[in-house]
Amino acid sequence: MDEQACPRCKTTKYRNPSLKLMVNVCGHTLCESCVDLLFLKGSGSCPECNVPLRRSNFRVQMFDDPMVEKEIDIRKRILRDYNKKEEDFETLQEYNDYLEEIECIVYNLCNNIDLLNTNKKIEQYKKENREVIMRNKTKIGREEYELEEMLEIEKQQEELRRIELQEIEQENKKKKIREKEALIDELMSSHEDASKIVSAFAEQAEKTREEAKTIPAVKRSEFSTGIKFGRGTQQGFLPVPKMEEGPLYNYVAPKLWFDGPPIPSAPEIEGKGYVQHIRGELPAERAGGYRSVIACQRALQEALQGLYHGS
Amino acid sequence: MYPTSSQRKYWTFSNEQEIQALRLKQNQDYIEKHGADMDPQTRLHFFLTPEEERLLLKQYELHLRDFCKRFDPPMPRCIIGTAFHYFKRFYLHNSPMDFHPKEILATCVYLSCKVEEFNVSIGQFVGNIKGDRLKAMDIILSNELLLMQQLNYYLTVHNPYRPIEGFLIDIKTRCSMANPERLRPGIDEFVDKTFLTDACLLYSPSQIALAAVLHAASKEQENLDSYVTESLFHSAQNKLPVLVEAVRKIRTMVRILDFPPKDRVKAIEKKLDKCRNQENNPDSQIYKQRMKKMMCEEDDIDLDSSYHLAATDSSIDGSLMNISQS
Repeated sequence: MDEQACPRCKTTKYRNPSLKLMVNVCGHTLCESCVDLLFLKGSGSCPECNVPLRRSNFRVQMFDDPMVEKEIDIRKRILRDYNKKEEDFETLQEYNDYLEEIECIVYNLCNNIDLLNTNKKIEQYKKENREVIMRNKTKIGREEYELEEMLEIEKQQEELRRIELQEIEQENKKKKIREKEALIDELMSSHEDASKIVSAFAEQAEKTREEAKTIPAVKRSEFSTGIKFGRGTQQGFLPVPKMEEGPLYNYVAPKLWFDGPPIPSAPEIEGKGYVQHIRGELPAERAGGYRSVIACQRALQEALQGLYHGS
Repeated sequence: MYPTSSQRKYWTFSNEQEIQALRLKQNQDYIEKHGADMDPQTRLHFFLTPEEERLLLKQYELHLRDFCKRFDPPMPRCIIGTAFHYFKRFYLHNSPMDFHPKEILATCVYLSCKVEEFNVSIGQFVGNIKGDRLKAMDIILSNELLLMQQLNYYLTVHNPYRPIEGFLIDIKTRCSMANPERLRPGIDEFVDKTFLTDACLLYSPSQIALAAVLHAASKEQENLDSYVTESLFHSAQNKLPVLVEAVRKIRTMVRILDFPPKDRVKAIEKKLDKCRNQENNPDSQIYKQRMKKMMCEEDDIDLDSSYHLAATDSSIDGSLMNISQS
């Protein structure tokens, strides 16, 4: 990647790590210190294309290519006037033509093609469509207003819910106190066994608690904007494809063809004393899973297999 | 598992005639290819006959054994066995006139070291070779892939060494023989000799091992016949004759083993120098040109394969392996 450099003072990012390149509507870059120097008075002309510029329009360059910055500027400006919506057109074709026209204008301005005519066109458009432009501008304002209103309503609802919760809690507290008092009254006035009364009261309290539990907490299922959450997000994903599972694997011991006399199995080798004739395993080998019977069986296997070869 | 191995399927033959036929075929193929414009009489004088090839290869099998025995660090025996297998298998389908046995020999041992997990670097390996080591390294590394290809990548070899251990354990457990360990010298000597025969291309490793054990026992005036008939073939008496025949054949092969006369081998080597395929002779101009061409083609892809041209200096003498002087 080539080094970013200020075209005027030739300072590079390497020489001045805090170098900040700025860009204005013409799309030519300047470093911060050059901007400070040249635009002391607040306005001046671009050192490259002599276009008159205002200092306040300088921005930090976000993209490597200053042309992109320039295009963003131009697009912002054009879209301020060309603010028609799809609803403003009778057919889709017309709307598409309109969008293409915008692109044409932006491209022309970016690349300095036919500037005079293009600017004239914009002026003409502004004149012709003043009303529509104004209307759309206010419409955008109205939309914003609506959004705010919605937020307000949401806030109110929240407040209401909070108060409700508080009330329920208080109610519960009162209920408990009342129950306790009733119990004490009963104990004082009744002639029955005290423990019986206590247990009866406990039972009742249990019952009411269970009832409270069974009332399902109403969950909120949508955002204030009316978008449902929960299920809505789930629908965004494809369901995990279900794997077709075959029958379970059934292990069958492999049938080995030895082409020789039968080979003693591992327990046989240990039982008949074959292992005595080979070196025992060391503790370290044992820890690694090696048993001398393995080596013994392998030697025997290799000795006996293939003995029938040729017949 | 020998019974289900590639060794049994592709590299164990049912009789000696099959092996003979293969050797005859590769000899004829080479002569057809390189002597198309000669009449039968000059062909006979110019090229090696199948018998001469046999003698030459036998001589080199002796070299192979000596080379392995003198190898430093000392190598486990299974490497020698595997190397012998590779050497024999290679020359079933290739003529020694096409690829010089001294080059294939070293390559076989090198590959065998790798397959049997005996870790020696190529530098350490060529340290065991007399003569120009750089050139030897070059030859071994460039032949290694060829060898594997000719072996059809069947690299696992079942050797008779572990079966021998198995038999000794079995004898100690099931026989009342006194001190079976004293059979070992006889067994080792016998097995070494079987590798100089074609036994390993004809019989299963356990049969060779049993033949070795029986041979060593008879040398020690012990009789293991009852062990074979009662313990081993107790449940399959009908299979016994085949085994007895196999053991007899193996022992005969070892008994009639003879060493090729030195003067004949020398004459054959001289003949070989003329009729060998110059394209595979690292000392020839053709070979060097071929390598250079290959290098140029490879250059774009691979710049560091420098060893191909490491030793193409014409002043180097041909005594690469220098084994015959031992």
